[in-house]
Amino acid sequence: MSFEPVVLFFLLGVIAGLLRSDLKIPGSIYEALSIFILLAIGLKGGVELSKYPVGDLLLDGVIIVLVGALIPLVAFPVLRYLGCMNRADSASIAAHYGSVSVVTFSVGIALLGQEALQFEGYMIVFLVLLEIPALVIGVILARHGQGGIRWGRLLHEVFFGKSIYLLVGGLLIGWAAGSEGIKPLDNLFFDLFKGVLALFLLEMGLVASSRIAELRAYGVFLILFAMGMPLFSAALGIITGWSLGLSVGGSFLLATLYASASYIAAPAAMRIAVPEANPALSIGASLGMTFPFNIFLGIPIYLWMAQWIHTYGA
Amino acid sequence: MNGQPMLLLTIISEAVLESTLIDEIMAMGAKGYTISEARGRGTHGIRSGKWSASGNIRIEVVGDSDLCRHIVDNLQKYERDYGLLIFTSQVELLN
Repeated sequence: MSFEPVVLFFLLGVIAGLLRSDLKIPGSIYEALSIFILLAIGLKGGVELSKYPVGDLLLDGVIIVLVGALIPLVAFPVLRYLGCMNRADSASIAAHYGSVSVVTFSVGIALLGQEALQFEGYMIVFLVLLEIPALVIGVILARHGQGGIRWGRLLHEVFFGKSIYLLVGGLLIGWAAGSEGIKPLDNLFFDLFKGVLALFLLEMGLVASSRIAELRAYGVFLILFAMGMPLFSAALGIITGWSLGLSVGGSFLLATLYASASYIAAPAAMRIAVPEANPALSIGASLGMTFPFNIFLGIPIYLWMAQWIHTYGA
Repeated sequence: MNGQPMLLLTIISEAVLESTLIDEIMAMGAKGYTISEARGRGTHGIRSGKWSASGNIRIEVVGDSDLCRHIVDNLQKYERDYGLLIFTSQVELLN
Protein backbone atom coordinates (compact mmCIF):
# COMPACT_ATOMS: atom_id res chain seq x y z
CA MET A 1 0.00 0.00 0.00
CA SER A 2 1.15 3.54 -0.77
CA PHE A 3 2.78 5.43 2.06
CA GLU A 4 3.81 9.03 2.49
CA PRO A 5 6.71 9.43 4.97
CA VAL A 6 5.69 12.95 5.99
CA VAL A 7 2.99 11.43 8.24
CA LEU A 8 5.76 10.02 10.46
CA PHE A 9 6.23 13.55 11.82
CA PHE A 10 2.70 13.33 13.19
CA LEU A 11 3.65 10.10 14.95
CA LEU A 12 6.77 11.78 16.33
CA GLY A 13 4.55 14.50 17.83
CA VAL A 14 2.05 12.03 19.28
CA ILE A 15 4.81 10.01 20.95
CA ALA A 16 6.41 13.17 22.36
CA GLY A 17 3.04 14.14 23.83
CA LEU A 18 2.30 10.70 25.28
CA LEU A 19 5.78 10.45 26.84
CA ARG A 20 5.44 13.99 28.24
CA SER A 21 8.49 15.27 26.42
CA ASP A 22 9.11 18.99 26.92
CA LEU A 23 8.88 19.47 23.14
CA LYS A 24 6.60 22.40 22.49
CA ILE A 25 5.99 24.41 19.34
CA PRO A 26 5.28 28.05 20.29
CA GLY A 27 1.74 29.22 19.49
CA SER A 28 2.96 31.96 17.15
CA ILE A 29 4.95 29.45 15.09
CA TYR A 30 1.90 27.22 14.85
CA GLU A 31 -0.09 30.21 13.59
CA ALA A 32 2.61 31.08 11.06
CA LEU A 33 2.79 27.49 9.79
CA SER A 34 -0.98 27.32 9.34
CA ILE A 35 -1.00 30.65 7.47
CA PHE A 36 1.75 29.33 5.19
CA ILE A 37 -0.11 26.09 4.46
CA LEU A 38 -3.44 27.81 3.75
CA LEU A 39 -1.83 30.38 1.44
CA ALA A 40 0.32 27.82 -0.36
CA ILE A 41 -2.67 25.54 -1.00
CA GLY A 42 -4.73 28.52 -2.19
CA LEU A 43 -1.96 29.76 -4.51
CA LYS A 44 -1.42 26.29 -5.96
CA GLY A 45 -5.15 25.98 -6.67
CA GLY A 46 -5.32 29.46 -8.20
CA VAL A 47 -2.43 28.78 -10.57
CA GLU A 48 -4.09 25.55 -11.73
CA LEU A 49 -7.48 27.24 -11.98
CA SER A 50 -6.04 29.84 -14.37
CA LYS A 51 -5.49 27.01 -16.88
CA TYR A 52 -9.18 26.08 -17.03
CA PRO A 53 -12.24 28.03 -18.20
CA VAL A 54 -14.03 28.66 -14.91
CA GLY A 55 -17.51 28.22 -16.44
CA ASP A 56 -16.78 24.53 -17.17
CA LEU A 57 -16.33 23.84 -13.48
CA LEU A 58 -19.68 25.24 -12.45
CA LEU A 59 -21.76 22.09 -12.91
CA ASP A 60 -19.10 19.86 -11.32
CA GLY A 61 -18.88 22.30 -8.42
CA VAL A 62 -22.63 22.26 -7.82
CA ILE A 63 -22.79 18.45 -7.88
CA ILE A 64 -19.75 18.08 -5.60
CA VAL A 65 -21.17 20.53 -3.06
CA LEU A 66 -24.64 18.91 -3.12
CA VAL A 67 -23.22 15.41 -2.62
CA GLY A 68 -20.91 16.82 0.10
CA ALA A 69 -23.96 18.27 1.88
CA LEU A 70 -25.25 14.70 2.26
CA ILE A 71 -22.42 13.91 4.69
CA PRO A 72 -23.68 15.95 7.68
CA LEU A 73 -27.25 14.92 6.83
CA VAL A 74 -26.26 11.25 7.08
CA ALA A 75 -23.96 11.74 10.09
CA PHE A 76 -26.58 13.58 12.16
CA PRO A 77 -29.23 10.81 12.40
CA VAL A 78 -26.50 8.20 12.92
CA LEU A 79 -25.13 10.13 15.92
CA ARG A 80 -28.55 11.15 17.24
CA TYR A 81 -30.39 7.84 17.00
CA LEU A 82 -27.73 5.10 16.77
CA GLY A 83 -25.35 6.87 19.12
CA CYS A 84 -28.12 8.31 21.36
CA MET A 85 -26.33 11.66 21.58
CA ASN A 86 -28.15 14.92 22.23
CA ARG A 87 -29.20 17.21 19.39
CA ALA A 88 -26.48 19.84 19.89
CA ASP A 89 -23.60 17.36 20.06
CA SER A 90 -24.92 15.35 17.09
CA ALA A 91 -25.27 18.50 14.98
CA SER A 92 -21.87 19.85 15.96
CA ILE A 93 -20.07 16.57 15.22
CA ALA A 94 -22.01 16.24 11.93
CA ALA A 95 -20.77 19.71 10.94
CA HIS A 96 -17.15 18.77 11.76
CA TYR A 97 -17.40 15.71 9.50
CA GLY A 98 -19.17 17.56 6.69
CA SER A 99 -16.49 20.25 6.76
CA VAL A 100 -12.98 19.52 5.50
CA SER A 101 -9.37 19.41 6.71
CA VAL A 102 -6.73 21.25 4.72
CA VAL A 103 -3.88 19.25 6.26
CA THR A 104 -5.48 15.89 5.41
CA PHE A 105 -5.92 17.18 1.86
CA SER A 106 -2.27 18.31 1.82
CA VAL A 107 -1.10 14.85 2.86
CA GLY A 108 -3.22 13.47 -0.02
CA ILE A 109 -1.49 15.84 -2.47
CA ALA A 110 1.90 14.85 -1.07
CA LEU A 111 1.06 11.18 -1.67
CA LEU A 112 0.00 11.88 -5.27
CA GLY A 113 3.33 13.67 -5.78
CA GLN A 114 5.19 10.68 -4.42
CA GLU A 115 3.24 8.28 -6.67
CA ALA A 116 3.68 10.64 -9.66
CA LEU A 117 -0.08 10.72 -10.25
CA GLN A 118 -1.73 13.72 -11.91
CA PHE A 119 -4.82 15.41 -10.50
CA GLU A 120 -7.13 18.23 -11.51
CA GLY A 121 -5.56 21.26 -9.87
CA TYR A 122 -8.92 22.96 -9.48
CA MET A 123 -9.85 20.42 -6.77
CA ILE A 124 -8.62 23.08 -4.36
CA VAL A 125 -11.62 25.24 -5.30
CA PHE A 126 -13.86 22.45 -4.02
CA LEU A 127 -11.88 22.42 -0.79
CA VAL A 128 -13.06 25.98 -0.23
CA LEU A 129 -16.64 25.32 -1.36
CA LEU A 130 -17.04 22.24 0.84
CA GLU A 131 -16.04 24.07 4.01
CA ILE A 132 -19.13 26.27 4.02
CA PRO A 133 -22.40 24.27 3.61
CA ALA A 134 -21.66 21.72 6.34
CA LEU A 135 -21.25 24.43 8.98
CA VAL A 136 -24.54 26.05 7.97
CA ILE A 137 -26.34 22.67 7.93
CA GLY A 138 -24.87 21.82 11.35
CA VAL A 139 -26.27 25.00 12.86
CA ILE A 140 -29.70 24.46 11.29
CA LEU A 141 -29.78 20.88 12.61
CA ALA A 142 -28.81 22.06 16.09
CA ARG A 143 -31.38 24.84 16.16
CA HIS A 144 -34.19 22.95 14.44
CA GLY A 145 -37.46 24.67 15.34
CA GLN A 146 -35.87 26.75 18.07
CA GLY A 147 -34.83 29.91 16.25
CA GLY A 148 -32.21 32.16 17.79
CA ILE A 149 -29.42 31.55 15.28
CA ARG A 150 -26.88 34.34 15.27
CA TRP A 151 -26.37 34.19 11.50
CA GLY A 152 -24.36 37.39 11.34
CA ARG A 153 -21.67 36.15 13.72
CA LEU A 154 -21.68 32.67 12.18
CA LEU A 155 -21.34 33.81 8.57
CA HIS A 156 -18.66 36.29 9.58
CA GLU A 157 -16.77 33.47 11.30
CA VAL A 158 -17.16 31.19 8.25
CA PHE A 159 -16.18 33.66 5.53
CA PHE A 160 -13.69 35.81 7.39
CA GLY A 161 -12.20 33.14 9.64
CA LYS A 162 -8.57 32.69 8.61
CA SER A 163 -9.09 29.35 6.80
CA ILE A 164 -11.52 30.47 4.14
CA TYR A 165 -10.10 33.97 3.95
CA LEU A 166 -6.53 32.83 3.22
CA LEU A 167 -7.58 29.98 0.93
CA VAL A 168 -9.77 32.27 -1.16
CA GLY A 169 -7.13 35.05 -1.07
CA GLY A 170 -4.43 32.61 -2.22
CA LEU A 171 -6.72 31.27 -4.95
CA LEU A 172 -7.41 34.75 -6.31
CA ILE A 173 -3.75 35.81 -6.20
CA GLY A 174 -2.64 32.55 -7.85
CA TRP A 175 -5.38 32.85 -10.46
CA ALA A 176 -4.49 36.48 -11.25
CA ALA A 177 -0.75 35.77 -11.40
CA GLY A 178 -0.85 32.53 -13.41
CA SER A 179 2.02 30.05 -13.46
CA GLU A 180 4.53 32.52 -14.96
CA GLY A 181 3.63 35.36 -12.63
CA ILE A 182 3.90 33.21 -9.53
CA LYS A 183 7.41 31.92 -10.41
CA PRO A 184 9.27 34.28 -8.04
CA LEU A 185 7.22 32.86 -5.15
CA ASP A 186 7.72 29.21 -6.15
CA ASN A 187 10.74 28.72 -3.91
CA LEU A 188 8.92 29.82 -0.79
CA PHE A 189 5.42 28.48 -1.28
CA PHE A 190 5.84 25.36 -3.41
CA ASP A 191 9.36 24.01 -2.88
CA LEU A 192 9.23 24.38 0.89
CA PHE A 193 5.67 23.11 1.19
CA LYS A 194 6.43 19.58 2.26
CA GLY A 195 8.94 20.64 4.90
CA VAL A 196 6.46 23.07 6.43
CA LEU A 197 3.77 20.38 6.29
CA ALA A 198 6.13 18.10 8.23
CA LEU A 199 6.60 20.71 10.98
CA PHE A 200 2.86 21.34 11.09
CA LEU A 201 2.17 17.61 11.42
CA LEU A 202 4.64 17.45 14.31
CA GLU A 203 2.62 20.11 16.11
CA MET A 204 -0.66 18.39 15.19
CA GLY A 205 0.70 15.22 16.76
CA LEU A 206 1.47 17.07 20.00
CA VAL A 207 -2.03 18.54 20.09
CA ALA A 208 -3.71 15.27 19.13
CA SER A 209 -1.84 13.26 21.77
CA SER A 210 -3.80 14.90 24.58
CA ARG A 211 -7.01 14.01 22.72
CA ILE A 212 -5.92 10.44 22.09
CA ALA A 213 -5.25 9.96 25.80
CA GLU A 214 -8.86 10.95 26.54
CA LEU A 215 -10.28 8.61 23.92
CA ARG A 216 -11.55 6.02 26.36
CA ALA A 217 -13.91 8.57 27.86
CA TYR A 218 -15.72 9.08 24.56
CA GLY A 219 -17.15 5.58 24.35
CA VAL A 220 -16.91 2.88 21.73
CA PHE A 221 -19.65 4.31 19.53
CA LEU A 222 -17.83 7.57 18.84
CA ILE A 223 -14.57 5.74 18.11
CA LEU A 224 -16.33 3.48 15.58
CA PHE A 225 -18.10 6.50 14.09
CA ALA A 226 -14.79 8.37 13.75
CA MET A 227 -13.43 5.53 11.58
CA GLY A 228 -16.61 4.39 9.82
CA MET A 229 -17.86 7.81 8.75
CA PRO A 230 -14.73 8.73 6.73
CA LEU A 231 -14.87 5.38 4.92
CA PHE A 232 -18.50 6.00 3.95
CA SER A 233 -17.76 9.60 2.89
CA ALA A 234 -14.72 8.49 0.89
CA ALA A 235 -16.79 5.91 -1.00
CA LEU A 236 -19.25 8.70 -1.81
CA GLY A 237 -16.33 10.80 -3.08
CA ILE A 238 -14.84 8.05 -5.22
CA ILE A 239 -18.19 7.32 -6.88
CA THR A 240 -18.91 11.03 -7.42
CA GLY A 241 -15.43 11.71 -8.84
CA TRP A 242 -15.59 8.73 -11.14
CA SER A 243 -19.10 9.62 -12.36
CA LEU A 244 -17.95 13.18 -13.13
CA GLY A 245 -15.05 11.80 -15.17
CA LEU A 246 -12.26 12.97 -12.87
CA SER A 247 -8.85 11.28 -13.06
CA VAL A 248 -7.70 8.68 -10.50
CA GLY A 249 -5.87 11.45 -8.62
CA GLY A 250 -8.93 13.73 -8.76
CA SER A 251 -11.34 11.06 -7.50
CA PHE A 252 -8.87 10.19 -4.73
CA LEU A 253 -8.60 13.83 -3.64
CA LEU A 254 -12.37 14.25 -3.65
CA ALA A 255 -12.67 11.12 -1.49
CA THR A 256 -10.00 12.53 0.86
CA LEU A 257 -11.89 15.83 1.10
CA TYR A 258 -15.20 14.14 1.85
CA ALA A 259 -13.56 11.80 4.35
CA SER A 260 -11.67 14.51 6.25
CA ALA A 261 -13.12 16.21 9.32
CA SER A 262 -12.44 19.81 10.21
CA TYR A 263 -10.59 20.80 13.38
CA ILE A 264 -9.77 24.46 12.67
CA ALA A 265 -12.76 26.20 11.05
CA ALA A 266 -15.55 24.00 12.42
CA PRO A 267 -14.61 24.12 16.13
CA ALA A 268 -14.52 27.93 16.11
CA ALA A 269 -17.78 28.26 14.15
CA MET A 270 -19.62 25.62 16.22
CA ARG A 271 -18.41 27.03 19.53
CA ILE A 272 -20.02 30.33 18.64
CA ALA A 273 -23.16 29.06 16.90
CA VAL A 274 -23.94 25.97 19.04
CA PRO A 275 -22.42 26.82 22.44
CA GLU A 276 -24.26 24.06 24.31
CA ALA A 277 -22.47 21.35 22.29
CA ASN A 278 -19.48 19.81 24.07
CA PRO A 279 -16.35 20.73 22.06
CA ALA A 280 -14.34 17.92 23.67
CA LEU A 281 -16.50 15.36 21.83
CA SER A 282 -16.31 16.86 18.36
CA ILE A 283 -12.62 17.84 18.50
CA GLY A 284 -11.74 14.56 20.20
CA ALA A 285 -13.39 12.58 17.41
CA SER A 286 -12.13 14.68 14.49
CA LEU A 287 -8.59 15.36 15.70
CA GLY A 288 -7.99 12.47 18.08
CA MET A 289 -9.37 9.71 15.87
CA THR A 290 -10.36 10.66 12.33
CA PHE A 291 -7.30 12.74 11.47
CA PRO A 292 -4.75 10.01 12.40
CA PHE A 293 -7.02 7.34 10.88
CA ASN A 294 -7.16 9.27 7.61
CA ILE A 295 -3.46 10.03 7.26
CA PHE A 296 -2.20 6.56 8.20
CA LEU A 297 -4.90 4.19 6.91
CA GLY A 298 -7.61 6.13 5.14
CA ILE A 299 -5.55 7.92 2.50
CA PRO A 300 -3.80 4.75 1.22
CA ILE A 301 -7.20 2.97 1.21
CA TYR A 302 -8.87 5.82 -0.73
CA LEU A 303 -6.10 5.76 -3.34
CA TRP A 304 -6.56 2.03 -3.71
CA MET A 305 -10.35 2.52 -4.01
CA ALA A 306 -9.88 5.19 -6.69
CA GLN A 307 -7.49 2.98 -8.67
CA TRP A 308 -9.86 0.04 -8.35
CA ILE A 309 -12.98 1.87 -9.60
CA HIS A 310 -11.06 3.42 -12.50
CA THR A 311 -9.77 -0.01 -13.51
CA TYR A 312 -12.90 -2.11 -13.04
CA GLY A 313 -15.64 0.52 -12.90
CA ALA A 314 -16.28 0.70 -16.61
CA MET B 1 0.26 57.51 47.22
CA ASN B 2 -3.41 58.37 47.22
CA GLY B 3 -5.19 57.29 44.11
CA GLN B 4 -8.81 57.04 43.15
CA PRO B 5 -10.35 53.78 44.46
CA MET B 6 -11.68 51.65 41.61
CA LEU B 7 -12.48 48.03 40.83
CA LEU B 8 -10.43 45.87 38.51
CA LEU B 9 -12.79 43.42 36.80
CA THR B 10 -11.05 40.31 35.44
CA ILE B 11 -12.76 37.86 33.10
CA ILE B 12 -11.13 34.60 32.05
CA SER B 13 -12.82 33.13 28.99
CA GLU B 14 -12.30 30.94 25.94
CA ALA B 15 -10.43 32.89 23.27
CA VAL B 16 -13.24 32.26 20.78
CA LEU B 17 -15.51 34.64 22.75
CA GLU B 18 -13.13 37.60 22.50
CA SER B 19 -15.03 39.80 20.07
CA THR B 20 -18.43 38.95 21.58
CA LEU B 21 -17.33 39.87 25.12
CA ILE B 22 -15.58 43.05 23.99
CA ASP B 23 -18.75 44.20 22.23
CA GLU B 24 -20.74 43.60 25.43
CA ILE B 25 -18.19 45.34 27.66
CA MET B 26 -17.94 48.43 25.48
CA ALA B 27 -21.74 48.58 25.13
CA MET B 28 -21.99 48.68 28.94
CA GLY B 29 -19.98 51.89 28.95
CA ALA B 30 -16.43 50.74 29.73
CA LYS B 31 -13.76 53.21 28.62
CA GLY B 32 -11.36 50.49 27.58
CA TYR B 33 -9.99 47.04 28.31
CA THR B 34 -6.78 44.99 28.29
CA ILE B 35 -6.55 41.48 26.87
CA SER B 36 -3.83 38.93 27.43
CA GLU B 37 -3.58 35.33 26.35
CA ALA B 38 -3.95 32.77 29.10
CA ARG B 39 -3.98 29.06 29.72
CA GLY B 40 -4.81 26.94 32.71
CA ARG B 41 -7.20 24.48 34.24
CA GLY B 42 -10.74 24.80 35.55
CA THR B 43 -14.06 23.04 35.75
CA HIS B 44 -14.08 22.74 31.96
CA GLY B 45 -10.78 20.85 31.96
CA ILE B 46 -7.32 21.86 30.80
CA ARG B 47 -7.12 24.81 28.45
CA SER B 48 -3.62 24.22 27.13
CA GLY B 49 -3.43 27.15 24.72
CA LYS B 50 -1.51 24.85 22.36
CA TRP B 51 -3.69 25.90 19.44
CA SER B 52 -6.44 28.35 18.71
CA ALA B 53 -9.35 26.17 19.84
CA SER B 54 -7.85 25.51 23.27
CA GLY B 55 -6.70 29.03 24.16
CA ASN B 56 -8.06 31.27 26.89
CA ILE B 57 -7.93 35.03 27.27
CA ARG B 58 -7.89 37.30 30.30
CA ILE B 59 -9.86 40.52 29.87
CA GLU B 60 -9.26 43.30 32.39
CA VAL B 61 -11.44 46.36 32.82
CA VAL B 62 -11.03 49.12 35.40
CA GLY B 63 -14.21 50.89 36.45
CA ASP B 64 -16.51 51.84 39.31
CA SER B 65 -18.71 49.29 41.00
CA ASP B 66 -21.78 50.23 38.95
CA LEU B 67 -20.00 49.55 35.68
CA CYS B 68 -18.59 46.24 36.94
CA ARG B 69 -22.04 45.17 38.19
CA HIS B 70 -23.59 46.04 34.79
CA ILE B 71 -20.96 44.06 32.93
CA VAL B 72 -21.21 41.02 35.22
CA ASP B 73 -25.03 40.97 34.98
CA ASN B 74 -24.82 41.17 31.24
CA LEU B 75 -22.31 38.33 30.94
CA GLN B 76 -24.44 35.88 32.96
CA LYS B 77 -25.94 34.49 29.74
CA TYR B 78 -22.56 33.14 28.63
CA GLU B 79 -21.76 31.40 31.88
CA ARG B 80 -23.73 28.21 31.33
CA ASP B 81 -22.05 27.21 28.08
CA TYR B 82 -18.64 28.82 28.30
CA GLY B 83 -17.81 28.66 32.01
CA LEU B 84 -16.44 32.17 32.43
CA LEU B 85 -14.39 33.02 35.51
CA ILE B 86 -15.20 36.55 36.69
CA PHE B 87 -13.81 38.37 39.72
CA THR B 88 -13.05 41.87 40.93
CA SER B 89 -10.28 43.30 43.05
CA GLN B 90 -9.81 46.69 44.69
CA VAL B 91 -7.29 48.90 42.93
CA GLU B 92 -6.21 52.51 43.11
CA LEU B 93 -6.09 54.43 39.90
CA LEU B 94 -2.99 56.60 39.99
CA ASN B 95 -3.35 58.69 36.88
